[in-house]
Amino acid sequence: MSRVGGGASAVKLRLGLHSYRPFEGGTAMIGAYRELEGCMQLLGYVLRRLTVLKLPPMAAQLTRQIYFTGASAMAGIVTRSAFIGTLIIVYVIEVLEADAALAVKILLWVVLREMGPLLAAFLVLQRSGTAVATSLALMQITGEITSLRQMRVDPRDYLVVPRVVGIALSTAALTIYVQLIAVGGGMLLSALVVNATIDDLADSFFLLASPMDIVYSVVKSLLFGVSIAIISCYHGLHPHGTSTNAIPRAAIRAVTQSTVVVMLLNVVFAYLVFGVVLLGLVTAEL
Amino acid sequence: MNTANQPAAGDAVLPQALETSGVGLACQLPADSSSDGRIWIPAGASLRIRIANPAHRARLLAAIFDMEPDPGLRLVLLGTEVNALSKHERIALRARVAFLVATGGLLSSLNAWENIILPLGCHHPERLRGIAAEVHALVVELGEAPEMLLGKLPEEMTLLEKKITGFVRILLEAPDLVLVENFAPGLDSAERMRIPYFAATYLARHPGGTFVQLEDVLGG
Repeated sequence: MSRVGGGASAVKLRLGLHSYRPFEGGTAMIGAYRELEGCMQLLGYVLRRLTVLKLPPMAAQLTRQIYFTGASAMAGIVTRSAFIGTLIIVYVIEVLEADAALAVKILLWVVLREMGPLLAAFLVLQRSGTAVATSLALMQITGEITSLRQMRVDPRDYLVVPRVVGIALSTAALTIYVQLIAVGGGMLLSALVVNATIDDLADSFFLLASPMDIVYSVVKSLLFGVSIAIISCYHGLHPHGTSTNAIPRAAIRAVTQSTVVVMLLNVVFAYLVFGVVLLGLVTAEL
Repeated sequence: MNTANQPAAGDAVLPQALETSGVGLACQLPADSSSDGRIWIPAGASLRIRIANPAHRARLLAAIFDMEPDPGLRLVLLGTEVNALSKHERIALRARVAFLVATGGLLSSLNAWENIILPLGCHHPERLRGIAAEVHALVVELGEAPEMLLGKLPEEMTLLEKKITGFVRILLEAPDLVLVENFAPGLDSAERMRIPYFAATYLARHPGGTFVQLEDVLGG
């Protein structure tokens, strides 16, 4: 009788069972829990160590971060924001055949409460989240983080605290900027293409807008900014491996997880503040 | 442990009952085929030692610089047995030791000036005022032109310029023990001629300090 060589391991190999890991799901869950725990610890550390921003090197890092995340991103969102505002007004008036008041109402709901913070958050994530994760992962791999430790400078003080504060402030500033451009630019451009005057649109806006909308969106965007920065810094400081492959992987994980957290926060926030989900449209009185 | 250029510690061995007074750095690493693993460097010495085994070298550096003690390694640093110290005492002792890695240990996003003042700005921000003159003088003393060097990013520097930048950063903090990693490899013969200036500059500023070149390859 001839034997099929290799015994049980060869059979497993042919059947493709060699890659089966019975606890793979459990390992992933433990990994996710550890990452969440790590991010929460990092957030706690940042909140405890905000005073380090008084030190000159950290203050310089903060300024640099605000410039990169906030100031240099502003030019890119002018046209995008204005077109979003215009699109909403034109769509509501021309396609839904509604009046200017409803168009402005929807503009307020969508842009002020939801689109402004979300647009700013995704812009920050796209530019700064990826940059932070890759640069910190690169610093980890090339030994620059070790150099900081050898200088007795805690990398979290020098690299994380200024980035978190800078990104949070910049996200809030960008949100206000997006809102101003989207609402103002939208009303201006809409007056040129649909049958509504700028006066009608502006009157409706000032009648319907409340300071609560601004406070709500600024607080929410601060939370978005903190989440993006913490998750990006965490993955940058903890790359999976020491090869160059670990750098894009850190960026991918940062972007993926930040996106989920931002969307989740948005829903939770809407539910907590307005008692409803789905952009507040559930209880809209038209 | 192979040692070279040891003017003061040629026959030194690590005593069984570890004598700590007057010791800059002493430890007993695991012996291997090329050495018995003993290091004993008196305070105030300027010398070069070679630890060929990378694992031993890494263990020694970790024992010196990590905050967690290594119970399997007996280490005396600046006259103090490290494993007997509390965490706060270890942190305080650690502040008296500096390490210059072979590539200077610079942050690639900062220019030379920003790299030099980074630790000072974090630990002694009050000293930043008026520090520029001191930095310029040190750079000149080490053979470079400040106006050429201080604005450069690490990617624009030669290896020697990186080492000088890292070394000036260390000098400003005036540590009692300086460890310099693989100083000569990578430098050309003219640049190697400038190595003695580093030890001389440190000892002139800090008489009684200990200067150790730590090497893992033959040469220099």
